[in-house]
Amino acid sequence: MRYYIGSEARLRRAVEDAAMSVFDGWCYEEVITPTVDYYALFEHGMGQMEAQRAFRFSDNDGRLLSLRPDVTSSVARAAATLLSERPRPLRLCYAASVFKQQQQSHAEWRRESTQLGCELLGPGGTIADLEMLAIAAEILSRLGLQESYCITINNVEIFNGIAAHLDLDESSREQMRQLIDTRDAAELRRFLMAYKTSTAERDLFARLTQLTGKREILNEARRVITNSRSVAALNALEELWTAIESVGLQDSFEIDLGDVSGLDYYTGLSAKVFVRGAGARVGRGGRYDRLTANFGQAEPAVGFVLDLEALTELVGRSEVSLGGNNGREVHVIPARDVSVTFATAQEKRAKGERVRIEFS
Amino acid sequence: MITIAIAKGRMQEDALALLSRSGVRLSEDALLSRRLALGDESGNYQFIFVKPADVPVYVEHGIADCGVVGRDVLLESEPDLLLPLDLGIARCQIVVAAAEPDVMTKDFGMLRVATKYTHVASNHFGARGIPVEIISLSGSVELAPALGLADLIVDLVETGRTLRDNGLTVVEVITESTGRLVVNRASYQLKAPAITALINALNATINGAAHA
Repeated sequence: MRYYIGSEARLRRAVEDAAMSVFDGWCYEEVITPTVDYYALFEHGMGQMEAQRAFRFSDNDGRLLSLRPDVTSSVARAAATLLSERPRPLRLCYAASVFKQQQQSHAEWRRESTQLGCELLGPGGTIADLEMLAIAAEILSRLGLQESYCITINNVEIFNGIAAHLDLDESSREQMRQLIDTRDAAELRRFLMAYKTSTAERDLFARLTQLTGKREILNEARRVITNSRSVAALNALEELWTAIESVGLQDSFEIDLGDVSGLDYYTGLSAKVFVRGAGARVGRGGRYDRLTANFGQAEPAVGFVLDLEALTELVGRSEVSLGGNNGREVHVIPARDVSVTFATAQEKRAKGERVRIEFS
Repeated sequence: MITIAIAKGRMQEDALALLSRSGVRLSEDALLSRRLALGDESGNYQFIFVKPADVPVYVEHGIADCGVVGRDVLLESEPDLLLPLDLGIARCQIVVAAAEPDVMTKDFGMLRVATKYTHVASNHFGARGIPVEIISLSGSVELAPALGLADLIVDLVETGRTLRDNGLTVVEVITESTGRLVVNRASYQLKAPAITALINALNATINGAAHA
């Protein structure tokens, strides 16, 4: 539970406004989704495991409701239903609170947080992915964080190709995913020994999942990852990297082949946003081309969210000023004759000044 | 600057020795002092000494970039951290122990289990469908069976001496535990060169020791 009062609230709103104005600059339309919705929506939209973190309760007729644990599910449903006839691409953005249960011990533990997010529905491919990343980068720069953020990118199909190539069953796939996710190189090498791999391949692959870096990571990856599905994903990632370089953002981006946290959700690009000074990631996103199919109309989609509270804290600690009406002069008007006092106040306010009526 | 949280107690001496052999040294003066936050000789590292269960907390929140802590602690609190290295120090086991070894098969009533590891214990028995009542203690767990508080204990065992001295025998080994290097997910990205250098140095020391 967290209050924002006075200058803190003003700062939080300024951060929100900065993000929304960047979205607006890229022609994203604001969407306001229901706070309470059927639980089934989020089960379809987020997958059963993630949706379980939602706060659930029942409606009068016994159907299960939920406070929204994410916004994307709701946007995807609207895209497939309400907005199915609208011309594509569909560009939507939001600033909305989401509610999740989480173990209290965890750093990211908050029942309520606010997502600043956007979704681009219709187009697939590199340029759409780049648009997402460029928007995220622009928001972070607008907040004065251009020197201190790092966005990692990966393509989940690289892992999926390897898992398919090794013919892993579901539990082994999950085991390998966890070993990569926690960067446990020694265990990963041991795990791979059960499969037809050479020592050199195992060492290189284990090292790859530990490294983050620029284009050279992809060249190293090609030496050990040769199945066609993963190679296609490496090519896509390289194309995206080239695009990132061509817009001059490569210093703030890293390729991280060890990011395998959203495998069942993302279908291509997976990105995470880190900012110096924040102990946990402040945003994430990626491509989810299978998502809208759950609501009856399949189409490519890509999006990301940033955490408003985390960004507010970072901006609050920095020296950057986001404006706000802090500096405007205040006229103090003594409360004597009501008609005079209120008439004066109205006159001042009409000129854009701030007034404070002083009670004696 | 990299901040390393070290679990006080069993782990501390081995962890500092391993770090020292990997080039991260505390001065003699620093080691003798009772301060809980210390800088190393190079000025590139800061050490903080906290209770084992608090190591994952400091690291998950990013107050410490990495930490050295036993796997037993990680299994109990399941923090969201990177686990790049098994340091192989402070090797021990989490076991189920009892005064009467046949207590688990003798009858099928509700067994009482005293432990500091309530999460590990309930996972272990839960996965096997064994009905148990978990009694949470914070120390001297070995006393519980003798005094009639519990039928079984789940505890960390290094040599087994404490168990024997209290008339207990190991019924089951739940898992092995060693000291692990844990790393904050954000630090891993934002301080990549320094963290990678530390992992590589520790890795070289561990593998060198294994070959020697």
